[in-house]
Amino acid sequence: MRFVRFVDRVSNAALRGTLVVIASTCMPLAGLTQSDASADDVPRTSDGRPDLSGIWIATSALGLLEGSEALQAARAADRAAGRALPATEPPPYKPEAEALRRRYLDRQGIDDPMARCLLSGVPRINTRPLPFEIVQLPDRVIILYEVHHAFRLIPTDGRPHPEDLEPTYLGDSVGRWEGDTLVVEVVGFNANTWLAGTGTHHSEAMRVVERYTRDSAETILYEAVIDDPIVFEKPWRMYDIFRLRPNERIREYECIESNEDIVRFEELLRSSEDTPRAN
Amino acid sequence: MRLDQPCLVFVAALLSAGAANAHHSFAAIFDSEKPVTLTGTVTSIEWVNPHIHFTLEVKGEDGAVAEWRFEGFPPNMLVRQGWRRGETLKPGNTVTVSGWQARKEPYLGSVRSVRLADGRELTAGPPASIGGR
Repeated sequence: MRFVRFVDRVSNAALRGTLVVIASTCMPLAGLTQSDASADDVPRTSDGRPDLSGIWIATSALGLLEGSEALQAARAADRAAGRALPATEPPPYKPEAEALRRRYLDRQGIDDPMARCLLSGVPRINTRPLPFEIVQLPDRVIILYEVHHAFRLIPTDGRPHPEDLEPTYLGDSVGRWEGDTLVVEVVGFNANTWLAGTGTHHSEAMRVVERYTRDSAETILYEAVIDDPIVFEKPWRMYDIFRLRPNERIREYECIESNEDIVRFEELLRSSEDTPRAN
Repeated sequence: MRLDQPCLVFVAALLSAGAANAHHSFAAIFDSEKPVTLTGTVTSIEWVNPHIHFTLEVKGEDGAVAEWRFEGFPPNMLVRQGWRRGETLKPGNTVTVSGWQARKEPYLGSVRSVRLADGRELTAGPPASIGGR
């Protein structure tokens, strides 16, 4: 069963425990008519790693990009495969940080850096409604994003993060393989991005650990653990399922071209008496 | 393993987690309580990022003509919904547009779908629930 296999791959003991509880909650109800489909159909590179290469779209973005029928088809495929992940819980903000988030929500998103065409950070950039391409090489993984026409270079040759990091939107990524899972540690963020929906702010102290597990030829299970002791009571865990789109191609997307929201939102910001400040 | 209802809740929650991922906040500019469906003649179209814009000349019951301006998905999302630049929507076309009015500007709208003269209805923009609370 793929869910259990995913649990096995999760290195964090606490999360593994949580997932096992969830799995055990689901399994008796499921009747366990499981086929235990193996991952034999997962493509592998010559060094034996699962090959993440391909063009992908997050399931959470499917409805916007491809429509409701595509989303329903994806959900049906996941049910048929027994593919399920835990729910993403609300962000576990500390009281003061939660108050700031509520103010962002009350202002209906006019502070959103993305609306100004600034780079979406990690993990948000993985869930935007435009595809991305993963290119896996022996010593690095490259992610090419259609949105923002952005890229991430993720060395997997054992090198550490550079010592001269300046805070950036996408941070600095270093990857390693834990079994069949690519684990990416991302540090060096600025505080100018939101993590998911409206108001999901963070500080420069944020560290993100992503896990990419290709559990089938068609899918990658994705987990992001966001640790930010300045704003969160505990790490925030987010999940998604990336779906292969072999007939797609990565197109150019220049967001700033004719972005009228910049003027609109600046006017709204000027008229506001309650301007939140980022961390 | 077959999933039963409680597990589906997990999946549904997962899939909704990224739901606020359109380009901008819908709610800051547009009013989901003001749906609008208008039939008129396309007078211009701007095929630009991060939103296409087009104008629609609409004749009211009193004979007065108003020019509405609608914004929708970026071109890269529209082509994946079946749109083609210079073909799908052209000046002179008579179409029916469904969407929502802006909160302040009287003739600005966010388009959700466009019904073409041949009867096809194409998705053209995000649902009203995107962004904001």
